[in-house]
Amino acid sequence: MRGLLALTVAGGSVAHATLTPLVSVRGVTPDLPLIMVSLLALRRGSEFGCLAGFVTGLLQDAAGGGLIGVQGLTKAVIGFGIGVAGSRLRVSQPLVQVPGLVVLTIAEGLARFALLQIFRFPAPFGELMMYVVIPQALFNGFVGAAVVLSLAGVQTLRARFEGEPS
Amino acid sequence: MKIQKLALLVSLVGICLLLLTLQTRGYGSAAGDLFAIVSTPIQTGLAKASHATFGLWATYLDWKNVRAENRRLQEEVQQLRVQALRVSDTDVENRRLRRLLTLQERLPLTTLPGEIIAREWGGWIRSLTVNRGRGDNIPRLSAVISPDGLVGRIVDVRPGASIVQVLTDPASTVGAHVLRTRTSGIVEGDPRGTLRFKFMARDGASIQSGDVLVTAGQGGLFPRGIPIGTVRAIDNRGSALFHYAELTPAVDFARIDEVLLVTGDTQRDLTAYFPKGG
Repeated sequence: MRGLLALTVAGGSVAHATLTPLVSVRGVTPDLPLIMVSLLALRRGSEFGCLAGFVTGLLQDAAGGGLIGVQGLTKAVIGFGIGVAGSRLRVSQPLVQVPGLVVLTIAEGLARFALLQIFRFPAPFGELMMYVVIPQALFNGFVGAAVVLSLAGVQTLRARFEGEPS
Repeated sequence: MKIQKLALLVSLVGICLLLLTLQTRGYGSAAGDLFAIVSTPIQTGLAKASHATFGLWATYLDWKNVRAENRRLQEEVQQLRVQALRVSDTDVENRRLRRLLTLQERLPLTTLPGEIIAREWGGWIRSLTVNRGRGDNIPRLSAVISPDGLVGRIVDVRPGASIVQVLTDPASTVGAHVLRTRTSGIVEGDPRGTLRFKFMARDGASIQSGDVLVTAGQGGLFPRGIPIGTVRAIDNRGSALFHYAELTPAVDFARIDEVLLVTGDTQRDLTAYFPKGG
């Protein structure tokens, strides 16, 4: 199980740069690793979320060719934060998770922007938010909803099969 | 436990900040290279797999489009075929009517064009129904002709339609002679739907296959010289008084659609108005 998770985190992060352009809509792509980190953190807690976010972010940075560590940091924080929030707040409802993903994406965008500013990589804030962060946040919300619903469906099926007498 | 978690977060954040600091100070290429060594082969493999998958998908979409295109083209071909058939049918009808009109204009007879509206082809009776009847003043026993030759005679005139006894009707008899030898005889229909020429043996010794038979014009029913058919075979009955010749009709009775009804004077020789050779 741990191997599978490691493969999911590592493979998913590397695959992001290669495969997500194929599902882009008008140049906007979903941040699949962020969705993955959020869901893993909700299920496995803050520690796992933090590690998964760190690894995922680093790999994303490396695969994308940017400053290595920006997304590692933001996603580690997000993974940790969601892990903590998941144990304290009722975030298991899809109606909470989807807007949550939108907010998280915007928060991650803001954090990335701040880090880039600190490390002297200036980027235009307004344009970044308007054309990158907010569209991606909305896309993430929809993709996240689809993933959450799919997982719920799979779980229901699994429960039904396991409940059936052989 | 909480402290452990926080320590993990802080250390990871610390690593990231260190990495960022190193990179901004020009030491970042080694870390980037290290990641690239690991990630590049995976990315290459994934790119190949995705290209293959999407290539397959694109091929499937192309195939689907080709199928739809093929179906559309087939429908178009079908429509064009129907259109071509209509055009060809109209063209054939046009030519047929033209021939009929030409004949009507050339003939020194009073004729009335008619259209075949029904056929009785059972064997007992062989007749055609033409859309000219009592209202058109069609006399009974009028000759019915086509541009190819004699069709038959009117045997029944009804309101709006007339019945034409076709030459191949078993009850049909027409006085005829061989155009080349002037050998006289009678053309009879038979139940098989063929025509035969009954002639006296001594008069018809020189009749040959391919000879053209025309109406004799005796009796006043049919004008003289209308083609009836050509000799196909001669049934030589030895010393019998009459011999028979099997004929190929000049008119294809099964396909004829328009005819001319001779309504006026029939005492004319029409040999020159029909194609030579039947």
